[in-house]
Amino acid sequence: MAKRFVSIWFRHLKTDWFSIRQPVLREIPFVLSVSDHGRMVITAVNEGALNKGIEPGMVVADARAIFPSLEVLDDDPLLSEKLLKAIAEWCIRYTNIVAMDPPDGIIMDVTGAAHLWGGEKKYIDDIHLRLKNRGYDVRVTIADSIGAAWAIAHYGGSTTIIESGKQMEALLSLPPSALRLEVNVTDRLHKLGLNQIRNFISMPRTALRRRFGKELILKLDQALGNEDEPLNPVQSVEPWRERLPCLEPIVTATGIEIALQRLLDTLCYRMQQEGMGIRKAVFTGFRADGKLEKIEIGTHRASLNAEHLHKLFEDKISTIEPGPGIEIFMIEALKAEKISTYQEKLWDTICGLEDPGLSELMDRLANRFDNCPIKRFLPSEHYLPEKSFKESVSLDETSSTPWLTGRPRPIQILSRPELIEVTAPIPDYPPMLFRYLGKLHKIKKADGPERIEQEWWIRDGPLRDYYTVEDEEGQRYWLFRSGHYKENEKPKWFIHGFFA
Amino acid sequence: MKYSELQCTSNYSFLRGASHPEELIEQAAAYGYRAIGITDRNSVAGIVRAHLAARTLGIQFIPACRLDLQDGPGLLVYPTNVSGYAQLSGLLTAGNLRAEKGKCLLYQADVFNQLRDVKLIIVPPVVLNGLFEFEESFEKQSATYHDIFGNRLYIAASRRYLGDDAKQLFRLSQLSSSLGIPMVATNDVHYHEPARRPLQDILTCIREKCTIQNAGFRLHQNAERYLKSADEMKRLFHQYPEAIRNTQEIAEACQFNLDMLKYEYPEEITTEGRTTQEELTMLVWKGAHERFGDHITEKTKNAILHELKFIREMNYAAYFLTVYDIVRYAREQKILCQGRGSAANSTICYCLGITSVDPSKFDLLFERFISSARNEPPDIDVDFEHERREEVIQYIYQKYGRDRAAIVATVTQERQRGSIRDVGKAMGLSIDTIQRISSSVWEFTEEWFEGKRLTEQGLNPDDKLLRKTLQITQQLMGFPRQLGQHTGGFVITRGKLSDLCPVMNARMEDRTCIEWNKDDIDAIGFLKIDVLALGMLTCIRKAFDLAKQHYGLDLTLANIPQDDPLVYDMICHADTIGVFQIESRAQQSMLPRLKPRSFYDLVIEVAIVRPGPIQGDMVHPYLRRRNGEEKVEYPSKELEEILGRTLGVPLFQEQAMKIAIVAAGFSPSEADELRRSMATFKAQGMVTKFEKKLINGMMERGYEREYAQRVFKQLEGFGSYGFPESHAASFALLVYVSSWIKYYYPDVFACALLNSMPMGFYQPAQIVIDARKHGVEVCPVDVNHSDWDNTLEEKSGSFHILRLGFRQAKGIRAEDMQLLVSARIKMYSNIIEMREAGLSQSVLEKLADADAFNSMGLDRRMALWEISTGNDHPAGLFAGKIPGPSAEENISLPLMRKSEHVVHDYAAMSLSLKAHPVQFVREKLEQLHILRTDDLKKHRNGDLVKVAGLVLVRQRPGTAAGICFITIEDETGCANLVVFENLFDQYRKEILQSRLLMVEGKLQVEGEVIHVIVQRCFNMSGLLRRLMEVINDELPILTLARADETSIPAHAQEDVFHKGRNFR
Repeated sequence: MAKRFVSIWFRHLKTDWFSIRQPVLREIPFVLSVSDHGRMVITAVNEGALNKGIEPGMVVADARAIFPSLEVLDDDPLLSEKLLKAIAEWCIRYTNIVAMDPPDGIIMDVTGAAHLWGGEKKYIDDIHLRLKNRGYDVRVTIADSIGAAWAIAHYGGSTTIIESGKQMEALLSLPPSALRLEVNVTDRLHKLGLNQIRNFISMPRTALRRRFGKELILKLDQALGNEDEPLNPVQSVEPWRERLPCLEPIVTATGIEIALQRLLDTLCYRMQQEGMGIRKAVFTGFRADGKLEKIEIGTHRASLNAEHLHKLFEDKISTIEPGPGIEIFMIEALKAEKISTYQEKLWDTICGLEDPGLSELMDRLANRFDNCPIKRFLPSEHYLPEKSFKESVSLDETSSTPWLTGRPRPIQILSRPELIEVTAPIPDYPPMLFRYLGKLHKIKKADGPERIEQEWWIRDGPLRDYYTVEDEEGQRYWLFRSGHYKENEKPKWFIHGFFA
Repeated sequence: MKYSELQCTSNYSFLRGASHPEELIEQAAAYGYRAIGITDRNSVAGIVRAHLAARTLGIQFIPACRLDLQDGPGLLVYPTNVSGYAQLSGLLTAGNLRAEKGKCLLYQADVFNQLRDVKLIIVPPVVLNGLFEFEESFEKQSATYHDIFGNRLYIAASRRYLGDDAKQLFRLSQLSSSLGIPMVATNDVHYHEPARRPLQDILTCIREKCTIQNAGFRLHQNAERYLKSADEMKRLFHQYPEAIRNTQEIAEACQFNLDMLKYEYPEEITTEGRTTQEELTMLVWKGAHERFGDHITEKTKNAILHELKFIREMNYAAYFLTVYDIVRYAREQKILCQGRGSAANSTICYCLGITSVDPSKFDLLFERFISSARNEPPDIDVDFEHERREEVIQYIYQKYGRDRAAIVATVTQERQRGSIRDVGKAMGLSIDTIQRISSSVWEFTEEWFEGKRLTEQGLNPDDKLLRKTLQITQQLMGFPRQLGQHTGGFVITRGKLSDLCPVMNARMEDRTCIEWNKDDIDAIGFLKIDVLALGMLTCIRKAFDLAKQHYGLDLTLANIPQDDPLVYDMICHADTIGVFQIESRAQQSMLPRLKPRSFYDLVIEVAIVRPGPIQGDMVHPYLRRRNGEEKVEYPSKELEEILGRTLGVPLFQEQAMKIAIVAAGFSPSEADELRRSMATFKAQGMVTKFEKKLINGMMERGYEREYAQRVFKQLEGFGSYGFPESHAASFALLVYVSSWIKYYYPDVFACALLNSMPMGFYQPAQIVIDARKHGVEVCPVDVNHSDWDNTLEEKSGSFHILRLGFRQAKGIRAEDMQLLVSARIKMYSNIIEMREAGLSQSVLEKLADADAFNSMGLDRRMALWEISTGNDHPAGLFAGKIPGPSAEENISLPLMRKSEHVVHDYAAMSLSLKAHPVQFVREKLEQLHILRTDDLKKHRNGDLVKVAGLVLVRQRPGTAAGICFITIEDETGCANLVVFENLFDQYRKEILQSRLLMVEGKLQVEGEVIHVIVQRCFNMSGLLRRLMEVINDELPILTLARADETSIPAHAQEDVFHKGRNFR
């Protein structure tokens, strides 16, 4: 049986995708652009922009000169690959062998597949229709060879079927670039007046090879179906999910635990093969009455320690209501991350943040209390004290900024500075006494001021003069005055922290 | 007790300081400081400005510098006398020259060896270590400094409000007393007022290439680095009063100021032991006899005597001799040159061969060139051929040495678009937003800074970040950004140049320049010679060479026959494509109106089509008066003297300035200051001040307000774009010379012009078309006939045949063609011979693209077929033999139609001798009743016409209120289109995208000047695609549902036509 191939060409792959996400864009001309040596260069245009005469490769400024209100969005250079991959995976419904054809196409080996749809016409109409309904402008062609299908899809004008063995006739009137040749080869062909494939297809092969190289012969043969062309099909990805059907509905906690144990073991084993670990997982029970029971856990660092994960779930098993009984259990890793596997050693020297024991402890605490009371802070490059640190999200997070150690900073800082009453000499000498929570503190020693201005690009506001002061009891405080002294206005004083 | 600030970083420490030197000085003066020093980093580029500001305000300015050393703590250096300054300048020079441009590498050893007559201050580290102490190494190095400099050394103490000020000062005082280095208070000033902190932060971001949001600790945490009042400084240092006192000690010790620098002219310019004046006198009379023959008129003789006397009084002889020497060198090397600018007012310059315009003929006044009143050194600008100017530059370096001659710097300033981009980026705005903001601005106005223009771009003017961006942009504009080299201003000294100003490497190889720009050296009184480049001189020299070679003529700028009526006839008909200055569209439409008949008319023609007179609305009154349509009258008797020769309408820069003096009571220096203030960056306050003064002054003297305002408006235009009369005269000479050559020898003219490209207004295609129109036969590029340059061959008709050279073909390199030409002992008869000459595959293909194989009987397609076999040429026994017929001989390639050839000609050379592209679509155009451009003449004013052609130029001059001027070309000639603003917006797409533009509009005929006032535009570029259309004998098998616009290759073909030049 002759082989059959489908080529799908997305005429506006990226811009169509933008329009799908933001339907308003459908109505207006817009382009995607990237910055190239300081110029904004257009990489993709939608139909509307094309009609205005705007083409990829133009500089945004030139395009704006033509159409001032042109919408310009940022292109993502990886977008087309991502989209093609997703579409290719989706296309597996049509055949097993689907390959991406960058930058904006799909190639499928559909040998023997079309009859399931009731013939090639219905087959490609279905592809065309479904993609169109999703918002993509596509050309779909089916032919005996990849080369012919590609050529007709790109240069043949409309969705077409090339009957088996008829590819030669279909190719004749197309330009040489339909053969997927290098630009310098097609340029030369055009210069020689060989503007259509018909002009050179019957020339002696030796003459063609001498002048245009092996590539032309190969591409010609591939298009005609005389030469095979390898395809690199995409693989579908399976989710990190395991199911356990039960012979009889389970109603006991022990039963649930056993199911959990088994599922965790299998999932962890599978994930270990791929070098992935769990950050977030959900354990679901499908009840006989159709209701779902779910418990969820999260970790501070990707983990494959089934025992540990089990413990995390264990605390929540009591919340599961088996009702009439659970028929199927399922576990799914909702968030997986690459796991760093370290060799087990005779003496475990890992300590501090690296110690898995620490992260597991954190996991247990976090699962037990809704709001984890243990926080980890990292330095943040801001002079304003309340912004000079930030809470970290994960144990692995590091900061490129070192802690600012050159300035005096208290061991405890108030989340919000509190207003205090102060007696101080002007203009910027340290205070002599202050009253905080009803208690009067006489200041014995003081250092400062350290002057910190507001971050003007975020908000304007008074500067702060910080003083480190020590009272009669030897307690040390961090105070500041907000703003300069003014003639008729008393500045406000605040307490912001406590030294050890 | 007084305080003087000794550590100020101005914006000449690029991207660090956030105030102009002038602002720092003004603030210091306002605080009542007695003295202030500016210490930029490894540079003194800003001190002249500071010096001038300080002189005006009567405050002592200490020129100083902060040295950042590679191997030790930084030092602030204050020269105490002239030699101290020379030592500092020499030190910086050494540091500059050992580093690439913009960097300065200095080491302790340099400082120890070179600095004697200076005071120094050590700059301590900003932070103490964990033990609240200075690092040991710092203490050690301070001790070393003290051993070398003894009591000239101090140590800086600053209060930065970083929380440990008291500790720092305490440690410093400990160090000070243990080492015996006195403490001196400074505030490490970065800006003159605290409000500049945002700007300074943004500068930091630009420098560090980050945004304000992630700049973090790279910013300063507070705004304390501003210039503080003396009282405040005293309060901050009340525990260390000696630190304040020491600022005075240093200020008093440093009495050096820039006025003490003595500039001296170089001396090795005399011969046979004559004095400079004697030498000059001798050369002038010798030159006078050469110029005027033996009979020098009384008038000329008097002028020479007068000038010589003046030069002796002012002691300028050396200057003239220096310029003479350079010009003499150029002459010897056969490099064409001509003095431009005010030097044309001098008879001596004419005698010395510096200028070529006989000043006695044009009643120019020597006093306009140099005058004792202005007390400024003379300024002679000389243009040289642009291709050979480097030889002159290297001659100067070689004659005087790099330690005595250098190019003047130009301070690159932050301009509108640059600053908005820099600030926007630092503020973290998206590139898109930045572009929208910058496209919302045409000119920076208050309105714009208030954000009123932003709504049009869909931006929110109330957005705080945006407002801040605009505010900071406004402050940043006019900031110096870097030092570049001036286009050709040279400074030459008698002694070492580095005694006066640091010398540095320029970006270009073999060039060195100084840190000061031309205003700076003007102020200090240095000699400057502008060695400029002018493309037209290259063209004229090449024309002279060709005229000698082919017509046996010995032409010079001075011996071209003057006042030839036939040449003026040609000019009056605006037949001036390629001619210097008067070839532009605007000039061409002026020529038939102004009808120049004499040299002085050309002078006016050159000066009148400039933004100055146009914006000042002086053009039409002049034309009306010249044509007798308006009475020539003068607002007053005194103005008649000034404006007499220009019929009462001020056209030249000098006239505008004279009006300010005579009619508004300005002093000459004020008038000059006025011109300067407008020429350089417009300081809003200054301009308004002068405007008031001028208008009030004129009204007090009985002039009408409206007239006064017009004069001011014109002055404004003159500031940046006006021509002085003498300058226009020098240019007018080149206009006449190039016109004369064009009229009598169009073959020579076109050939020389093409060989000097790129220059001027037109593309080679237009030059070639114009030459053919004037009866010159032009032959195509050919491997057997062409050289790299265009050449003239034997005579055919009245002129020589112009053979196009390989330089016209794209992508071909001169070296390859030298190979081709030198191996061409006899004619090449086949491609194999050419391959054996060493020409590569790609070169041969390029030659085939240019259709250069016709003498071998191959058109471009056949040639390419032959060439494309690549490297399998016969070797060994068969070398040099043509391979026998092979199976391939039967292959027939589609014949190339003429239209296809033309398209390929354009693709390879941007011109075609075979036909004009529009010719092939003429039939189609005729069906649409579209006229030939040539036919426009047959129609009357007001007729509705349609015309189409290739777009040559689109222009939207700032002076024309949004009007767009377009020139289009078809096979019969050119047409000038005028598109008004509203239509431009409507047809923006067509106008900007069309290669072949068709317009409908009303004809406007004014004598010989024909314009089409456009009403509708159509992009007909699609027709050009037909030139390449594939013609199929067989019916296509597939019915193409819809032509696929993005993939038909012929689509690219219209791109080969020049898309037209766009001008503002």
